[in-house]
Amino acid sequence: MLPVSFHKRFHGFRRVFFGCALLCAAGFLTWLALPDPTALGKEPPLPPRPSPNLTVGKEAFENNCARCHGLTGAGDGMDSKRMYPHPRNLAAGIFKFRTTASGTLPTDEDLFRTISGGLPGSRMPEFQRLPEETRWQLVYYVKSLSPAFQQGNQKPEPVDFGKDPGPKRADLKRGKELYTQLGCAACHGNLGRADGPSAPTLVDNWGQPIRPADLTHGWSYRAGSSPRDIVERVLAGIDGTPMPSYIDAISSKEDAWHLAYYIQSLQEKPRWNRSLEAVKLAGALPATADDPQWQKAPRTDLRLSNTLYREGELLPTTVTSISAQAVYNDQEIVFRLAWHDPNETGTTPPDACALLFASDRHLKGQLGSLRGWPASAEAPALDVCYWSAEKKTAREAAVHGMDGLEIGTEPGQPLWSEAHFSDGEWTLLVKRPIRPSSEPLLFGVAVWNGGNGEQGRRRSNSNWVDLVLE
Amino acid sequence: MKALHKKSLSFAVSLLVLALATGWALAAGTATEAKAATGTATVSGTVTLGGPAPAAEKIKMAADPVCLQQHKEPVMNEMVVANGGKLQNVIVYVKDGVKGAYPTPTTPVVINQEGCTYHPHVFAIQVGQPLEILNSDSTLHNINAQPKLNKRFNIAQPMKGMKTVKTFDQVEVGVPFKCNVHPWMNAYAAVLNHPFFGVTDSSGSFSVSGLPAGTYTIEAWHEKYGTQTQSVTVADGETKQVSFTFKAS
Repeated sequence: MLPVSFHKRFHGFRRVFFGCALLCAAGFLTWLALPDPTALGKEPPLPPRPSPNLTVGKEAFENNCARCHGLTGAGDGMDSKRMYPHPRNLAAGIFKFRTTASGTLPTDEDLFRTISGGLPGSRMPEFQRLPEETRWQLVYYVKSLSPAFQQGNQKPEPVDFGKDPGPKRADLKRGKELYTQLGCAACHGNLGRADGPSAPTLVDNWGQPIRPADLTHGWSYRAGSSPRDIVERVLAGIDGTPMPSYIDAISSKEDAWHLAYYIQSLQEKPRWNRSLEAVKLAGALPATADDPQWQKAPRTDLRLSNTLYREGELLPTTVTSISAQAVYNDQEIVFRLAWHDPNETGTTPPDACALLFASDRHLKGQLGSLRGWPASAEAPALDVCYWSAEKKTAREAAVHGMDGLEIGTEPGQPLWSEAHFSDGEWTLLVKRPIRPSSEPLLFGVAVWNGGNGEQGRRRSNSNWVDLVLE
Repeated sequence: MKALHKKSLSFAVSLLVLALATGWALAAGTATEAKAATGTATVSGTVTLGGPAPAAEKIKMAADPVCLQQHKEPVMNEMVVANGGKLQNVIVYVKDGVKGAYPTPTTPVVINQEGCTYHPHVFAIQVGQPLEILNSDSTLHNINAQPKLNKRFNIAQPMKGMKTVKTFDQVEVGVPFKCNVHPWMNAYAAVLNHPFFGVTDSSGSFSVSGLPAGTYTIEAWHEKYGTQTQSVTVADGETKQVSFTFKAS
């Protein structure tokens, strides 16, 4: 009989022996897989990148980034509260635009790309004007601001995005099927207008309201609107936001690309213009939004923005652009306006739209931005057409502010109007008499999304544009 | 020829390094197993809510008909579930005093998304233990896990029957899980490095058994009311009662 301890020891030895044998095999395989050292020189050279110099990076950060992101990168710079989306807290180690797995850090190239290209639709500008070397130093400096880059468990895990099949091989029908199957519409809506049933309730990881991307507005996709960009966002997700990673939900990389090409097909090309050109029609003016006569009228897309603060904080609005058209005859002019709103709201506060007219182009300077109108009690009165989904009517009056029209204390002149809401889009027609001799030359639009609690000065505003009668 | 020599050398070196590493790992593994002793003592008790419980809120599921159709009765928010003053969904666990390392269970903890709520609403899991995330609904859920120490993730489960397995590598209590598609859905986990934990049931009761004799700090964690701790000493075979009271606020 052998003592028990011997058995134990023997087992221990056997274990180590097996371990070694296993390792021999593993080592052999590793050796096989190792590249021949002499062949290493044939690898294509990596693009040159400066070695990190945090002093240079810090200076560039303080000069270019700290105003919004704050000196420590905490997202608390002096301008941060006036911005929506808020500037990123770079110290938190949560980055939206990555080519890496959900919950992992971005690659250096990801950060470089965000710094270089900016984030369209947000206040993050592109920094192409900085030398490439400075941008790399910014990458290194940004990484030094968050302990996440020093800890081990969030190391970037690059995602395999498969191969772009190209537009000819992309299967849009399959892409559309996937859009439905994968539940994209829950937030982005059936037609991609950011009007899904979950859209109004979305919050980011910090509890701040956040909007899903309006997929028809390619210009507002934060990190690019190409199929490649879309595949990256879909498979890697957008960390810190409700957008999850679909890496396990999409069975093949090919499908990811079909979906991306389908999403790209939803994008509408914007026609940004400094003026709105009204087209003269010989006969009756269109009374419906789908009247073929509208095809004769050029469309002008207007970007909308807001500047309302409450206790120093911006109250975000949701409508970021509006499409305008106008046609007229000798008596009247009809405007056709279309904008995206996630939900039809007829109760208080209602969805609403105002068209503002100023008869003198030189007023532009005096009026200031439409966002701030009326600038003061002495500001000149403007003709304002106000329509709301509550009363389903439009009225026009010469007023010093829109409050009276909104709450119904200003009687105003009733105007003919026609409004229609479907799939996250309002289409509004408003008709007013034309006065050719003194026809207004400046035109502006304000929109309220009632479902988002917008009323009064909390609204989306266009810039002043010239109204040109053909 | 020179290249071949280099190759042979690198082979030999990698072999040695790997052999050492594995030998060490095996030895460490043996040591770990030896330390993982369970005992015969038990800590059990109840968690009480002092003061009137806030009225539970009805969850509005109308935004997703798939969710709405699955419930005949209104579904209530699970943040505070108190039956006759006994508080449910409190994680009671040994915070300090556990000696040695315990083996990682291979049986997964399952969190099921059914009827657009999480089952269970709170749970404990061990470091390295698989967490199986299951979608039993025919609608999109996203599982947005936002731990502070562990790796975050936010993944989509658009199809019924979809399963994803995740693990946590750090001890962390109160890891929140959210579904952004259905903002009422949330769950919490405690990630622990030992098996000494329990979650209070509808009668506010918990039981932590298998403890070796010793002195322990027991913590009760609730998603709204925070934490409370008590120290307890147990002998082999002994069962000690420990009770916690959270103040309703």
